[in-house]
Order: sequence, then C-alpha cells, then structure tokens
Amino acid sequence: MLGVYNVGKTSLVRSFVYSIFEDKYLSTVGVKIDKKPIEIDGQPIEFLLWDIAGEDDHFSVPPTYLRGASGYLLVIDGTRRATFDKALDLQQRTEAAVGPLPFIAVLNKLDLTDQWQLGPKDLAELDQRNWTFIKTSAKLGTGVEEAFTKLGQKILLS
Amino acid sequence: MSPADSESDKRPEGQEPQEVLEIEKLRRLITGPERIQIDQLRERLENPELRTKDISQILPEAILLRTSQDEKIAKALAPTVEKAIESSIHRNRKVLVDVLFPVMGPAIRKAVTSTLHGMIQSFDKTLEYSLSLQGLKWRFEALRTKKPFGEIVLLHTLLYQVEQVFLIHRKSSLVIQHVMSKDVKIQDPDLVASMLSAIRDFVQDSFKLEKDESLDTLQMGSDRTIWVEQGAHALLAAVIRGTPPSDLRIALRETLDTIHLRHGEALEVFDGDTALWEAVRPDLEDCLQSRYKPKQKKTFPLFWVLFGTGLVLLGIWCFFSIQTHGRWMHYLERLKGEPGIQITSGEKRSGRYHIYGLRDPLASEPVDLLKKDKLKPDKFVFNLESYTSTHPQVVLKRIDAILKSPSTVHLELKDNVLNISGSASHSWITNMREAIPTIPWISKYDDRNLIDMDLNNFDNLREKIEKRFLLFEFRSAEMAKGQELEFQAFMEDLKNFINLAKGLEKIVQVDIIGHADSQGTERANLLISQERADKILSIIVKEGLDAKSFRTSGLGSRELFREEKTNQDREFNRRVTFRVIG
Repeated sequence: MLGVYNVGKTSLVRSFVYSIFEDKYLSTVGVKIDKKPIEIDGQPIEFLLWDIAGEDDHFSVPPTYLRGASGYLLVIDGTRRATFDKALDLQQRTEAAVGPLPFIAVLNKLDLTDQWQLGPKDLAELDQRNWTFIKTSAKLGTGVEEAFTKLGQKILLS
Repeated sequence: MSPADSESDKRPEGQEPQEVLEIEKLRRLITGPERIQIDQLRERLENPELRTKDISQILPEAILLRTSQDEKIAKALAPTVEKAIESSIHRNRKVLVDVLFPVMGPAIRKAVTSTLHGMIQSFDKTLEYSLSLQGLKWRFEALRTKKPFGEIVLLHTLLYQVEQVFLIHRKSSLVIQHVMSKDVKIQDPDLVASMLSAIRDFVQDSFKLEKDESLDTLQMGSDRTIWVEQGAHALLAAVIRGTPPSDLRIALRETLDTIHLRHGEALEVFDGDTALWEAVRPDLEDCLQSRYKPKQKKTFPLFWVLFGTGLVLLGIWCFFSIQTHGRWMHYLERLKGEPGIQITSGEKRSGRYHIYGLRDPLASEPVDLLKKDKLKPDKFVFNLESYTSTHPQVVLKRIDAILKSPSTVHLELKDNVLNISGSASHSWITNMREAIPTIPWISKYDDRNLIDMDLNNFDNLREKIEKRFLLFEFRSAEMAKGQELEFQAFMEDLKNFINLAKGLEKIVQVDIIGHADSQGTERANLLISQERADKILSIIVKEGLDAKSFRTSGLGSRELFREEKTNQDREFNRRVTFRVIG
C-alpha cells in the first residue's frame, strides 16, 4: 500500500482484512502488515499486505520495505489533487528501486463526491500512462475488493 | 600406431627398389586418410602443449564427476592445496590476508562480540543473584557441590525453551518454513515473519548499520527473546522463552549454514511456494531445544533434614561456643578480682585455655572457681607463679592460718586492727593472745566480742550445780528412792565443773550442805543433816574426786525449803544442797 499521508491506505486495508496488529505500528515502525487470503479465478492466493506509512515531508518510503514485493496499490486521495502528482512521483521512485511491478492506482474517498478534485483530464493521463485505476471508497467499501482482486490478477499474470 | 604401420617403415630385404616404390604408392593410396589422422593423433599425444590444452578442456568436468562419486579428488588435492597456501603465505602473505579479511573480519568480530555479550550476560546474572535470598541458597549449593558460584547461577538461570523457529526468505520476507513447540500459542507466522523483517529493516535503516551488522536479538519483557541469524538468502529467527545459552546461537548459525549449503540455489529463487520446503523441517525442529529446571531429587527432603539438623547442630554449637566464651570471659574477670591472684594473660590455644599470672598459696584455688562458672577443669592450663599477697583478705587468711582459729571465731582486719569475735576455748584465747604480738600486719587487737566458752561453761555449771539437790529417806542418811538418776546427773556436772576449774586454773570449793525436816529434835536434825552431807561426800570421793575440794555441813531444819503442811513438803526438806565457792 503506497501513497502519501492521509490518502486512506490504512482504511482500505481495514475494510479489506481483519487486522491483528494495531495501527500504531505505522507511526512507530512505519509499516503494518496484514494477511488476506482470497480466491482469484478459482485459484487461492494469499496477500501479505504491507501498509507502509504515508509519505510526508519528514518520511519517505524506505526502499527496504519495497524489497521482495510482488505488486502494490498506489493510493491517491481523489479529494486532494496534490496526492495525484505525488503518486506519479512515488510510482517512478518505486520502479527505480525494485523494478517494474504490477500495481493498481486506487482513487480513494469516492464517497466525498462534493470535494472530488480529479477530473477527466487526470484520468486521461492515467490512461495515457497505461495505468489500471479503480475508484474506491474505503468508508463505503466501494471498489475495495475489486482493487485487490485486480492487483491479484495482475500479479498472477506477471 | 598399429603394428602394420611400424612394419611398413621397414623395407623387406632382397626386394627391388622399383617394387618398393610401387608398394609404397599403393599403400598411400589405400591408407592415406587414416595416415593423416594417425599423424595428427601422434602429434596430439607427443606435443605437450596440445595435451595440456586437451586436458584443460575436460579437467573441470572430470573433477566434478569424480567429486560426486567419492572423495579421492579432495584427498589427492589436499596436500597440493596446503602446499600452495603455504607457499603463497611464504611468498606474500598480504595476498591471502586481503582475500580472507572480508570473510574473517566480520566473523571474528561477531564471535568476539557474541562471547563478550555472553560473558556480560553471565556476569550480570551472577551479580543479580549474589545478594538475594535465592543467591544465598545457591551460594550454599556452590559450597556443597564445590562448584564456582557463577556456574551455579548459570545452571539455574539457563532454563529456556525455543518456542518457534522461522526460516524467512530475506528478499520477500516470506516464511519459507516454520516450526513450533507443542502448546505454544502463536499469531500467523507469515505476519510475524514479515513484521520481524520490517522491524529489522527499520532498525537497519534507522541506525545506518553496515551490511554485516543487523538486529540479531530482540528482547521482549524479561523472559522472551528473538534471536535472528542472517544468511545470504534467508534468516533464521528463533523465539525463545527464558535465558538461552550462547551455544544455541551457534546451533542456529550452523542450521542456517546447512540449509544454505544444501538449498542455496533454491533459496535464491524462492517464489513463495512453501510446499517444496518440507525437507528443512527436521533441521528447524532440531533447533526447538529446551532445558527445563531439573526436577528436585527424591533425596531432597533428606537433604533438608540433614541441612536442618546441621543448622540446629550449628546453632547449638554456636550457642555453647558463645556460652563457653561468655563463661571463660566471666571466669577470667572473676580470677582477676580474686584476692591473692594476679592474672597477666589468658588465651585459648589448641582448644584449651591457658592462664598466666601469680597466685598466693592462701588465695582461692582457681580450679574450684571453675565449678562456679560450670567450666571443665581439663580444658584449663594454669601457669601461676607463687607470691605473697598483701591483699587484706589474704593477709587475714594468713593470720587465720597462724592462729588456727576454730570455726566459731570470726576475724576481721581493718587498718591493721584485728577484731576477733565469736567464741573459743579458754586455751585458744590464751594462745591467741600470746601469738598476736608476733604476727606482722597487726598493730592492735580487740577481742571484747570474743566469748571464752570454757569460762562460760564454768559459770553455767556452777549455777546448775547450785540449783541441784538430793532428797533423803525419813530419819536416814540414805538417798530417797528414785534419786539415782538425779545423783548421776549431778556427778556428771560436778566432774565437768571440777575439770573446767582445773583448765581455768581456778581453785574452787564445793560446800555440801545437809538439811532435815522439822520433825524431831533440833539436835537430832543437826546430826542427821550432817550425816546426809557426809554420806554424799563419801560417794563423791568414791567416784574419784579429791575430797579437798569439798566441805560438808549440817544445818538441821534451820533452812526449810517448804512450809511443812504435808508429808511431801517434809520429803522435800530432807535434802542436801550445794554451794560453790571460788
């Protein structure tokens, strides 16, 4: 789970799995790990979700946390335009650190429609970059399962 | 080379040159291509350069093949390799040092750090337990078993159980294999392993550790530890309850090395499929070591009984030692205060008490004083020199010894004045008075409170005799019936009195006075009374007393003792009485 601070990564994980670790790991170690077994096209796979603390001015994702990853969700806050640009930058850095990996861009906070800032131009840019993206609402649970399933499919195909 | 070829080189004897040439031509036609090959083969066999090239092409495969079959290659190469290393070191040791340093450096550093850590750990434990109640118990055990205290502490504290062992893929942080002890409640191993990897990464990044440095120990609470050993492709993490011995880390390291050795390539390309990794389970299970607190031996109660008995005996011994010591000190003080004894030193040596000093022969006997303090005389050795004490009490004893005082006499010496009290015989008093002027330490004496017992008895007997009387028959000088006992008692007193008088050098005279009742004439009464007195005198003389000491007289009925109203009154008046003169 990658993305800048407060884009809703933890909420997405929480709505997807039942967590055994407390969220405080995020602020202490910078990562919280959860496990979710799912079935994709009849094949059981198991996600080990590394919910990495959101990047801000003082914290950037440690490359060691990315090491060994099979894929990632790049979370963007649909109500904050700046998170979109930062996600583009984060994706590039991730690719530079661990090489090309399957990923899904997640445009979160879909429930806050009145504050939504991502327009068709942004989505076109994603298309142009050939990114797969899914609009989600961790609060309502919309698109969450789909996002993880799609990522799973991509990983299996890679 | 075939035999035919070798023969072909020889020309048969007697053949013509033309024929020879033709045969040769024919032979070349037939064997031409093979001959070229034979020449080439010969060239390869005879040319060392070509042979070296040939062998170099197959040598690696040959070695690999043979190595997989047996160990002969290794054995054959060992001396050469050893010689090569030796030669390299002799020639230039820097080359080998440079090669080995990156490997040996971290290994040595780690070994030293681990050993030091172990030492500090054991030292900490030793200190921790040295002053506690538990520590005292272990100290006693150390004494009992004659083992060093530190070893006993470690023996008791090295109780541990390896609860879980994780083999974790380094790159992906995925669990390759996981084993655990029975009855251990665990969280999902995948999550734990991932989190563990994350934490290790976090520490590594946060503290900018070198590659060979890593978080190898996590301490949770006082009794849970995670030890992590890091290999090229995998980590081995052991969750341990208790205090593990440093040997365990070596065992973990060896297990990880073994796994790398056997499955190094498979580890490198691990893709998350754990099904293939069942083979390493036994290796990991070997790491699930534990050491439990040894069960208390059945002889334990006996030990405690013996211990208790020992303690009681020790207590008793201490009590008696203290008591004896107390008595010894008390005795020594008593001796020091004893008149006529001067103590210079006293000490206990070889289980006996030695006392040195001076003693007046008239002073108390030190052995007798021991009894007062309930001390055994055989434990004491007295080294007391004789001297003459001037202590008043000893001086008094000395005076007492000179005077040979009877027990009825009490002497007291104060400012050289001897006070003599009590009672003594007349002769002792006389001798005492003669002896005193010859005794030093006495300037004056006072015996006013000393009673002369002989004189006292003399007066008592005199009074007794004068109170006695003897009764007589009517008109007769015979003593009345029943007067025999009275007479015997009188005679006894009289004899004692006479003897006392002699001792006191007193000249005494006893008057024997006869009386009669008022019946009859005065003359007759005077006669009978005189007869009665004479009669008694004659008996006294018969008893052996000197008649000169006696005088008789008859008073008739002039001094009646009772008014004669009855016959009994008259019987009382017919008597003899006594009076002592002198």
